[in-house]
Amino acid sequence: MIKRSLYERVLFETICRGSTVLSEDVCEAFAAAIDREVFPVAKTGLEKTLESIRLSAINSTPACPDTGWPIFYFKVGDECAFEGGFTGLEDAARNAVRNATRKGYLRSTMKHPLTGADPGDNVGMNIPDFTYRFVPGENLEITYVAKGGGSECFGGTRHRVVAFADGISGIEKFVIDSFVDSTRAGAICPPSILGIGIGGTANIAANLAKEAACLRTIGSRHPEPMIAKIEQDLYVALNSLGVGIMGAGGSTSVFAVNIEYAYTHIAGVVVATSSNCMIARRASSRILGDSSVQPMQQPDWFEGR
Amino acid sequence: MVAEYTLNAPLRDEDVEQLEIGDSVYLSGAAFTCRSRLHRYVFDEDHELPFSTNARNMLIHTGPIVIREDGQWKLVSFMPTSSIRFEKWGARSVEEWGLKLICGKTTMGSRTIEMMKQKRCVHVSPRSVSPNLWVDAIRIEGVYLFDELGSIEAAWHLRLDRLGPFVVDIDCHGRNLFDGINRLVDENRNKALAELGISSCFSYTKLY
Repeated sequence: MIKRSLYERVLFETICRGSTVLSEDVCEAFAAAIDREVFPVAKTGLEKTLESIRLSAINSTPACPDTGWPIFYFKVGDECAFEGGFTGLEDAARNAVRNATRKGYLRSTMKHPLTGADPGDNVGMNIPDFTYRFVPGENLEITYVAKGGGSECFGGTRHRVVAFADGISGIEKFVIDSFVDSTRAGAICPPSILGIGIGGTANIAANLAKEAACLRTIGSRHPEPMIAKIEQDLYVALNSLGVGIMGAGGSTSVFAVNIEYAYTHIAGVVVATSSNCMIARRASSRILGDSSVQPMQQPDWFEGR
Repeated sequence: MVAEYTLNAPLRDEDVEQLEIGDSVYLSGAAFTCRSRLHRYVFDEDHELPFSTNARNMLIHTGPIVIREDGQWKLVSFMPTSSIRFEKWGARSVEEWGLKLICGKTTMGSRTIEMMKQKRCVHVSPRSVSPNLWVDAIRIEGVYLFDELGSIEAAWHLRLDRLGPFVVDIDCHGRNLFDGINRLVDENRNKALAELGISSCFSYTKLY
């Protein structure tokens, strides 16, 4: 039985790491973008951003003050037992968010959508958000995503129902047009990690897009060749746009294009996009059945990618 | 060649009239912060801004992370936020607060740009997300409306010491740096669609 005191401590640590320490794949994406950047202002911007990211890890300060929506992904083993059950887990996660906000690891960003009232701790109606996946075994895996407002609020997240008749061309056109619109004046803080969900109902596609943007490892490919080809074609197409860091012109517009899909009713195929900020914040931890704890470099949400 | 300037607030017309889109600027002197709730509080709910902007005519659209430590405000993290979402209030903020410079992410819309041209005001934006390189250039002098609006929507008074660099994206002659970039990206988009084999005559099948 995993004690509540243990998982609450791990939740807090995972939130703090998620906000302050960017994962290796994101840092490597910056380094690669710096190497290939031909615009001097963009190159300097990428270098300064990476320098600041490194200082965040050293000083334990948020890599970006917009720590956005607090989102948890739990991968729960069928045989996993934890004190207090799921309501205890969610209660502990809310406490950990409050604590991380009070200590300055998270900004008090979550407010009432109509009045703007600020509870001061990022906890309110339906926030934080929780998503579960169930797997064999006895481990509990926790991923925290700080989903920034820049990439979320300014057109980085959209959907359209494309007719089956319009095929891959319809899907790709929607993705490219949406991306161009959302990067005007650097609104979504590019270079982006672009997640795309295809199929399912609108909410299924939107969730897949969000998970593809926030949980996939940069550089990973979908295992199915048809999907991997669309990922690669869009990656090349979007990086030919010249959007650059903060939308002011440059060689890199996206760090990655990640696609996930669901079977669907083909009367209309939902396509959803979700962008993640270049300051892509996530962290994962695994609590094993014997209550030992392992930090994880990647969420491993989609097996192997 | 990009020109580089250090601007000291309070700013005069001649300080900003020399600036052109693409120039690089560092900011020094007295500034204040403002986001959605303060705009609404003043312009929609008819409250007075509880301080004078005469000697503080530099506005930063930002919601910093500030914590209270040993009885002092401590700035933890700072990054300009997107300005375009304040477009509804932008022209009034320039006119009524006498702004000479707005620092924010993205840019402003046409109504605000027109007012900026009339009143001699520029907009500058960052080319990086580097809060750790900026926080040491910012000292917190005080805060207004903290209880009413919350920590990130409150009006923080800041004292800046060469905060930057930022790029001038709207000058006081009505020019916007992003107009040229948008044209280039649109041309590249057409080429990218062609590369993917998507015809310029493509139109979606109408489903609704």
